[in-house]
Amino acid sequence: MDALRDELGSSDPLPPVPAMPPIPAPPARVYSPRPERSAFAAQAAHHTTALVGIGHVGTRYATDVVLQFQAELAVAHAAVGAELPEGWAADNGFVGVCSRVTSHREFLLRPDLGRRLSDTSLETVRSRCDKNVDVQIIVADGLSAVACMQTGKALHDAVVRACSARGLKTGTPIAARFARVWLEDEIGQEVNAKVAMILLGERPGLGTGDGLSAYVVYAPKLGNTDGDRNMISNIHLRGIIPDDAAERLAALASAMIEQRSSGVTLDLGRLGEVSGGRGYRAPQVRQRLVAGGEPT
Amino acid sequence: MERGVFLYSAPVQLASTIRGQSYRFASVKEVLAKANPPKSGDDLAGISARDAVERVAARAVLANLTLRELRENPVVPYEQDELTRLVEDELDDQAYRAVAHLTVGQFREWLLDIDTTGPTLRAVSPGLTPEMAAAASKLMSNFDLMTVGAKCQVVVRANNTLGLPGRLSSRCQPNHPTDDVQGILASAREGLSYGCGDAVIGINPATDTAESTAEILKVIDDLLKRNECPTQHCVLSHVTVQMRALELGCPMDLMFQSVAGTEAANKAFGISAALLQEGYELINAKGTAKGPNRMYFETGQGSALSSAAHHGADQVTIEARAYGLARRYKPFLVNTVVGFIGPEYLEDGPQISRAALEDHFMGKLLGLPMGCDACFTYHAKMTQDELESLKVLLGAAGCTYLMSLPVGDDIMLNYQSTSYHDIPTLRRLLGKRPTPEFDAWLDAKGIWRGDGPGPKFGDVEAVR
Repeated sequence: MDALRDELGSSDPLPPVPAMPPIPAPPARVYSPRPERSAFAAQAAHHTTALVGIGHVGTRYATDVVLQFQAELAVAHAAVGAELPEGWAADNGFVGVCSRVTSHREFLLRPDLGRRLSDTSLETVRSRCDKNVDVQIIVADGLSAVACMQTGKALHDAVVRACSARGLKTGTPIAARFARVWLEDEIGQEVNAKVAMILLGERPGLGTGDGLSAYVVYAPKLGNTDGDRNMISNIHLRGIIPDDAAERLAALASAMIEQRSSGVTLDLGRLGEVSGGRGYRAPQVRQRLVAGGEPT
Repeated sequence: MERGVFLYSAPVQLASTIRGQSYRFASVKEVLAKANPPKSGDDLAGISARDAVERVAARAVLANLTLRELRENPVVPYEQDELTRLVEDELDDQAYRAVAHLTVGQFREWLLDIDTTGPTLRAVSPGLTPEMAAAASKLMSNFDLMTVGAKCQVVVRANNTLGLPGRLSSRCQPNHPTDDVQGILASAREGLSYGCGDAVIGINPATDTAESTAEILKVIDDLLKRNECPTQHCVLSHVTVQMRALELGCPMDLMFQSVAGTEAANKAFGISAALLQEGYELINAKGTAKGPNRMYFETGQGSALSSAAHHGADQVTIEARAYGLARRYKPFLVNTVVGFIGPEYLEDGPQISRAALEDHFMGKLLGLPMGCDACFTYHAKMTQDELESLKVLLGAAGCTYLMSLPVGDDIMLNYQSTSYHDIPTLRRLLGKRPTPEFDAWLDAKGIWRGDGPGPKFGDVEAVR
């Protein structure tokens, strides 16, 4: 052991703290895509919102990238954490209902409870909503109450107009809290709708939380599964804009009523152009969230 | 009587006592479920222990069950499930007999013993049923899982040699919400310039058609050929779509499919063992990788419950059964997508981290080149710091590969995973290297030299 201590130089004093070197400020590194700074970023920005061409510090991110990332993360988490205020439905001309869920944590952990109406809400649907309609539309919080509050009403109204134009009778407007997709089955069954359509907040992505998805089902009833449904996702201003989505949704509802089916058995080929597909999509722009103190 | 496992079924002891309180369990399946560490998915299924004491009581029972008893009591009966039948009928009897007499408690100790080496584990692996791997995990802490996981060595070959000691590989995942091939290409080039992508360049397509699959594969194939880059490509569409694409005639190194741990859950995925066999034979006949390993599978705890196909069994055991199926097809890649499924199955950072280490351990023990998509969705309760810590745990546990995306952000699937910057960071921190073939390529390109960045690191112009 003594020999080992000698080898380690234990009798010598520990080395002194090294002299302070000059520390120049590193070059400014900015959040990309910044087309004006890199040909690659300029080219890529026409095709993707992926954060490419952002450079590196050692193997890690520049401070500016870290802040942008944290801002985007905060936006996504805020969208998930937001709750639809109880008065929102009435203020916007909807009949308000709630699932069997009683808290936000329970909503995340118990999808089964989010698929069924509370006793009070079941009574509300029975007493206040029109029966025997063609299409029952429900707007709902889903995983982003923010998206529901931002675009829910506009999308609902656009779908009503598109359905009317096709001669379809829509039901009493309903807005649901703590709702999962399958809640449309119980509501649709209660009002005896031919088609039920729920428009609800999607699980947010980084920096976004404003997307709605629509799930449509023919002959709504408890016990339907995902295979019985058709859906359109990415309904927001950077994706499918609400007016276009409304046209497609009304066309879907018509096709379902005509073919008396939905989901995997629905023949989408007969929907034609209006059902969408891989058309032109304008370049998507990733919003810069952190302003002020931006390096130049 | 070694062969006649179904000829007799000795009554198993399913009771234990803790501080004078006795606990009884109705079945091996119930013991396995209640021995599980807390998971929101087991709570959702209504099968978890009611409190921490009952959980330990179940573990005490489990520790005294023998591996033979586990083989005799699969969580889904032989008659009801093709996965159970395949595992039972194809089990290596000699390997099984070497460990059949051990209790699960003894098995855990044998796994941890310094004298039990990687090659020994590899030899015993074909004699283990998924239930045995799952049972051992329930008696293990995170460090136990990492210790054994790091011992297992599973080496596979396609265009690269994956899984050698001291290596950490990554899938480059340049997904795009509309499959814009220029967008995919930009992200893939960026990933390669950070030293990512030695496991595979793998794209989840937005459009699940044969034409789209073939189109993306051709673009990636050109990229790899142009740069003489030694790796594999894959488009993760449904196996039937990839089979059609192969028949249309396109390059395809690896064939992908998501798999689950019961026949019913796989039916919900639109697959069966027969279909996988068809895909396996087709990729071996027409695939473009050198091989011999050419399949790629993804799994994840909770997927069976999400289609009500879990047969009342816990999600860890069902996950192990997916590995039991995967190993039939000698895959090049298998990874759990651990945090993708959502908080109703794995609620928070601790549950996601635990599940990642369990899955890695079970997969490796069952002989798979196990990787992990360490990730969270934005509605799960996991922080970015917790996710970064998990990647270090996985790297230290010898995880074969992680994912990699720009800033870890999947702009198509909307979740947070590993980033292009994380892979070189982990290699530096843990003293790991990419696969030898890819390492040599990175060196030639000036992207990565030895144990650190080269002059072209992060420079996309190095990849044409």
